[in-house]
Amino acid sequence: MMNRRVAIVGYAQSRHQYDMQQTREDMVFDVAKGALKDAGIGREDVDTVITASTDFLDGRTISNVFLSMAVGAYLKDESKVEEDGAFAALYALMRILSGNHDIALVEGHTQASVFNPHQVSSFTFDPTFDRQIGLLNDVSTAAIQARMYMNGYDVSEEQIAGVSVKNLANAANNPNAQRKMPDITVEEVLSSKLYYDPIRELTISPSSDGACALVLASEEKAKEITDNPVWIEGVGSCQDSYIRDRDLLKIGSLQIAAEKAYKMAGISDPFAELDVLEISEKFAHEELMGYEALSLCREGRGKVLVEEGITEKYGEVPVNPSGGALAADPICATGLIRIVEAAKQIREEADGYQIPDVYKALAHGQFGACAQKNVVFILGGE
Amino acid sequence: MRNVAIIGCGQTKHASRRRDVNVAEMVADAAWNAMEDAQVTPDEVDSIVDGNMQGFGGIAQAEQWMGEWIGAPGKPVLRIATGGTTGGSVAQAAYYQVASGLSDIALAVAWEKHSDSKEAGATTGLLHVALGNFFHTFNYGMDLKSLVATAAVGAAAGVAVYQARHYMHRSGCRIEHLDMVAAKDRSNAAKNKYAHLQWPNCTPDDIAKTKMIVEPFRYGHICPASDGASAVVFASEDIAKKKTDRPAWIKGLASYSDEENQMMSENSGGTGIIDASEQMACRLSAMKAYEMAGIKDPQKEIDVAEIYQPFPSQELIFAERLGLFDETTAWKATEEGETEIDGRMPLDPSGGTNATNAIGSSAMQRVLEAALQVMGKAEEHQVPKDVHNAVAHGWGGVTNYIVVTVLGDSPRR
Amino acid sequence: MERFIKELAKKRILGSKCPNCGYTYVPPRSRCGKCYTKLGEENLTELSGKGDLVSYTVAHVELDGHGNFLDLGEPKVIGAIKLEGADSTIFMPIKEIDPKEVKEGMKVEVVWGEETKGELADMKYFKPGGR
Repeated sequence: MMNRRVAIVGYAQSRHQYDMQQTREDMVFDVAKGALKDAGIGREDVDTVITASTDFLDGRTISNVFLSMAVGAYLKDESKVEEDGAFAALYALMRILSGNHDIALVEGHTQASVFNPHQVSSFTFDPTFDRQIGLLNDVSTAAIQARMYMNGYDVSEEQIAGVSVKNLANAANNPNAQRKMPDITVEEVLSSKLYYDPIRELTISPSSDGACALVLASEEKAKEITDNPVWIEGVGSCQDSYIRDRDLLKIGSLQIAAEKAYKMAGISDPFAELDVLEISEKFAHEELMGYEALSLCREGRGKVLVEEGITEKYGEVPVNPSGGALAADPICATGLIRIVEAAKQIREEADGYQIPDVYKALAHGQFGACAQKNVVFILGGE
Repeated sequence: MRNVAIIGCGQTKHASRRRDVNVAEMVADAAWNAMEDAQVTPDEVDSIVDGNMQGFGGIAQAEQWMGEWIGAPGKPVLRIATGGTTGGSVAQAAYYQVASGLSDIALAVAWEKHSDSKEAGATTGLLHVALGNFFHTFNYGMDLKSLVATAAVGAAAGVAVYQARHYMHRSGCRIEHLDMVAAKDRSNAAKNKYAHLQWPNCTPDDIAKTKMIVEPFRYGHICPASDGASAVVFASEDIAKKKTDRPAWIKGLASYSDEENQMMSENSGGTGIIDASEQMACRLSAMKAYEMAGIKDPQKEIDVAEIYQPFPSQELIFAERLGLFDETTAWKATEEGETEIDGRMPLDPSGGTNATNAIGSSAMQRVLEAALQVMGKAEEHQVPKDVHNAVAHGWGGVTNYIVVTVLGDSPRR
Repeated sequence: MERFIKELAKKRILGSKCPNCGYTYVPPRSRCGKCYTKLGEENLTELSGKGDLVSYTVAHVELDGHGNFLDLGEPKVIGAIKLEGADSTIFMPIKEIDPKEVKEGMKVEVVWGEETKGELADMKYFKPGGR
């Protein structure tokens, strides 16, 4: 259990798209302002700001150096994580739990149109070996994992495509999503461009420009700020070994992260107790592997959940009603968006794609080849 | 409120090119030294925070590959990168891991291996910072020769030149005082077995003889670009008390950021702060950190300071901003020997960033060195007096990022 | 790593076997990532160059280094290989086989360059290995 209760009290995100016609500064300013407005507080109320962006993705060193003003961090205690925004939320949570701060603004963004993020991913591999051989990037490694998973548990391409169909159709009702395909079919997914077999255009998250921000507050402040706080009831994070030395048949670090979060939140039966999940599925098969790592089903049974519609909006455990990362992937914002989308469901603000009666939600962020590191949040309504 | 202390530190030897190790081995050295010093096993460490400037070494998200070398698999790992303040930001994040209660023993690791990029010091990273200099060229006027010289020794010089000039103009500090600071730092570094530029018994005259690069900076004033790594282990109060008799308690910390327009910024927007030595963010960070630490009179209560000073002018400027000297007097104090290792207010007994600058790691080194002083473990460069409180500082970005940490021999109450 | 590369000239693939937990790394490294025992020259072990294809992908594109995906005229196979005696998986090209015929679990073996100079390129690719 945590020593202090912390809640999400406001949020905002951009309309994610490829090649947003907006500077980074403006994009970040808009979501930071938007989150503060949503919370009904001013810049002067914020104690600390944590942002998320990476130098390689932004194409410049100290990627946030010209953004502190835009995000409202002028003369404020701020810092930056260099990975997915859900990790920035984790850091901000820690700052509040420490007692040193009460209100935190968290922001994450990437304009992926600046430089192909898949190319950037090739720079994360072992420079003494893998990089010199030149075969690996996030897509090729995901493909290797996908094939291993398919062969290991007899999962078909159609079953994996089912995730894309669900999420891209869900996205049609999400005004912020980039890739909306209300009439998409399995056939369409399986005839989209083949990158690294079995990974195709419609089973990879799109490269998006986007930003997201949220406001966290300690219990006392949260109650002053809003009648509708979304409490962070549990959190867990974990990093796996490098790709040469880990078991690719499952996302082990996600399982560990989820177990920690469930324990903290007092959840013993996630399938029964979670009302909705927002998972960062950068590749369609990752969602199936995610169901297993999150203990929604046994290993290898993820395909059943999608085939039987269990994770559809109308199913027993809706996953990614927002469309997930397959609908928009502004990389460093993606995990933060999952947290916001989960919070939206709890606050009943997901117009057009609201799941009824949501009290407990799970939000997930990841970073690294084949989801090497993961962070899981359990959120709960009043 | 949970008290947190540093219980162990580890560093590597710093040099222009550590060709003898690859970056994973280099970082592992520091991490393992720190864990040994802290007397913890990797299994006891339950979270890791790491950082470096990834553009400089050419590896993106390096801890994904290198994690195994520092005991990362199976643990929560956070990556932090904030320019020059990176090391300090990493240390502060590790503090927060423990202070939040989510972790009991956190390992903080920061490094830089410039030499992995084609040209040490002239990597994409530093050259990008040089962009700030072009704005000076256009707006304030810098002749081409100075601009080229600046780029040759490390682009950040341009930023610091203007900052130094403002300070010298305001305070009466002269170039001789910069010579004094650099000489002190290089001599101190000679007593620090991990430092890069070690010049035993260096005198101001030795420095004054070196070539002028761009007024007022001589070659002998400017920091090196080092390869190196440092690591620190943070622990909760219960564990710290079991592991060591003299932990270095984190009593206060802050990292305020300032207006980047002081360098006219990339989009040349807004009104800039003209005087880059004003450093309001440093004043505020220091005030907040001292308040948390219960320190009311830093001039009397701080026993030693580790200031991030790739340029000697910054030692003086930031010493004043940290409240260690009255405005405009730090250079006089230096002249009178007050800032020597055995002086009244020792600054950078380790030699500081002026003698060793592995960018991702340097701000962590300031925290590390301050901790060593509190713990009495700084060996040859230990200040010869009781250290009850120490302050560690870092700056970064285009001089708009600041990180301040106050450490002491007793926990916050 | 340096020894590893030098030995490639002699058509030898080296790994490091941890004396404590037995995990065998390829390429070799200075510290075990599972139990953190230091690994030295004495822990180097020669691997046969034969192994199992634990997974693979058929690449229809490749990145040009500048952020563009180029369509490949001929698809290429990237194999995930567990060498006999090693626990690490290495990722290497698979050739001399129709991509459609590649199967998980196949035996594969290394093909060396004609002249091996002590560089990574000496390990040209892997091909199906017979019984």
